[in-house]
Amino acid sequence: MALSNFTLMRATAAFIALGMLILLGMVGLSYWMLDRTRQSTEEVLITREMRSSLVDLLSVVQDAETGQRGYLLTGEQRYLTPYDAAVKLTDERFDKLAGVFARHGGGEGFLKELKLDIDAKLAELAKTVDLKKGGRGDDAMAIVLADTGKDIMDRIRSLIGERREAVETRLNAAVASQRENASILQWSIIGGGILIVLAGAGAAWALTSYTGELVKARAEVESLNSGLELRVRERTADLQRANDEIQRFAYIVSHDLRAPLVNVMGFTTELKASLEPLQAVANDPIVDSLPAAAEARTAADKDVPEAISFIQASTKKMDSLINAILKLSREGRRNINPEPVNLALLLEGIGASMQHQLNDSGGELVVGKALPTIISDRLALEQVFGNLIDNAVKYQAPGRPPRVEVRARSERDGSVLVEVEDNGRGIADHDHDRVFDLFRRAGAQDKPGEGIGLAHVRALVRRIGGQITLTSELGAGTTFRVKLPRNLRATLEQSGELRG
Amino acid sequence: MSLEGRPVAIVMIEDDEGHARLIERNIRRAGVSNELIPFTNGTEALAFLFGADGSGEVSAKKQLLILLDLNLPDMTGITILEKIKNNSHTKRSPVIVLTTTDDAREIQRCYDLGANVYITKPVDYDNFANAIRQLGLFFAVMQVPETQ
Repeated sequence: MALSNFTLMRATAAFIALGMLILLGMVGLSYWMLDRTRQSTEEVLITREMRSSLVDLLSVVQDAETGQRGYLLTGEQRYLTPYDAAVKLTDERFDKLAGVFARHGGGEGFLKELKLDIDAKLAELAKTVDLKKGGRGDDAMAIVLADTGKDIMDRIRSLIGERREAVETRLNAAVASQRENASILQWSIIGGGILIVLAGAGAAWALTSYTGELVKARAEVESLNSGLELRVRERTADLQRANDEIQRFAYIVSHDLRAPLVNVMGFTTELKASLEPLQAVANDPIVDSLPAAAEARTAADKDVPEAISFIQASTKKMDSLINAILKLSREGRRNINPEPVNLALLLEGIGASMQHQLNDSGGELVVGKALPTIISDRLALEQVFGNLIDNAVKYQAPGRPPRVEVRARSERDGSVLVEVEDNGRGIADHDHDRVFDLFRRAGAQDKPGEGIGLAHVRALVRRIGGQITLTSELGAGTTFRVKLPRNLRATLEQSGELRG
Repeated sequence: MSLEGRPVAIVMIEDDEGHARLIERNIRRAGVSNELIPFTNGTEALAFLFGADGSGEVSAKKQLLILLDLNLPDMTGITILEKIKNNSHTKRSPVIVLTTTDDAREIQRCYDLGANVYITKPVDYDNFANAIRQLGLFFAVMQVPETQ
């Protein structure tokens, strides 16, 4: 792997965090820029308002002067109309200008000066107009010619002009700042966009690499898995073959051992039959005179019958052992037939067949509630539980009526665990494994048996895909736990073992 | 078995001489006194039944009853059974398979091939002796056809 998954995960997180930071920065910057733009726009509006107020005031004062001049020259009443209108408007315009300045601060000195000049100008205009109205046009002209009004007007013009210039400069600065803001915003958006795209690309790269690594790792795991499955299957097949071989071996050996044994037993019986006439002869008083009569009599009456009885006992024993091996190997070879088996009914049947033994010892068999129906081999189950319950009753504790309890529960892996618990004599710790071995028994040898039952049970349980274990306390009782697949057919199909 | 005066011969193909002897003794105890021809391997038995040329003409016009063990040192008894039942001269001779095998498929196969009786040798001697004696009693009432 080029990069560890951890590094890649960290890289992904870092890229995403970086992108978020850039985005946050851009939001902050935009907010700040918006504030600045708002300020600039305000400034533009203010300066524009100031400029227009200045221009309006100047124009109305000029209008008043123009009206006065017209009236003075012509004496016509209609020239007076614009004058009157302009004079009326002047105050209003001045108030508006003053209002604008008052709202935005500054310009008090300028306003005071301007007010004085405008008032003086208006006074001059009013004076001349009044003189003209009174028929004293010459006096009025004299005032005009004295240039007082013109001087005042010039001052007003320059005052307003200067102020207007200043406002104009402010306006230009505000517009420039607005433009600057716009371009900063533009560049920051472009730059931020590029950075976000880069961070996104980084995150995408890291994610892609990470996913790639994951996919690769998964493929590796899958290939390992399938390899493992294959190995397990091969191994299982090997074991199956080895097992089959052992079964065949056991069958052939025990089968071939039987043939000579039949001869040994057969001719021993023949020998025994032939012994009778010999004994008759040996015990006949006629032979007393013969030198070896006493020895012959001992041989015929004691030694030979004793030898024959030993031979017969041994051959019987050997015969039963061979039969046990044969039975086991035959069980191993028997085709199992998975079918639905109701464990409750099965145990009920076993209980019925054991009723006699139970009655004799005052014992009882308690079958738990809700025993499930499983798919398994009926014959094998009958033999397994029949043997276990038979053992539980057979190896009861002295002086205690046997109580055998059978219960079942589902295991997490989908199998069924059946427990057969007794209050019998128990099995010592060191014998827990031994009792499952062929021809091995544990505890007091006071009951007939050959040490076959549990070996047979274990072989059967294995044959139907299960496991058997035991826990026991000497003197207190034993619990056998038989774990069985819920569906033997499915288990066998899975391992490809279902035959026939 | 088409008894006294009629020449029914019992051909016993049994590799274990001890078994052969025990079988013979127990048949005799049942009162069967017919000629008993023992063979301990397949090759000799086939030579007797089908002659040197293998045609089986040597067995023509004879009354034969064959006791056959399946486990033979040189061949399986099934081969012999097959040959007997496929030969026009010997096919009517009753064949009694007497063997230790109790495999169900083996038993089916023997009957499929035309075996007349299949007996598994009992494992313990008492039952063995008893079975052979009963077989001997059975022989006493059995009709054996003449071969062609």
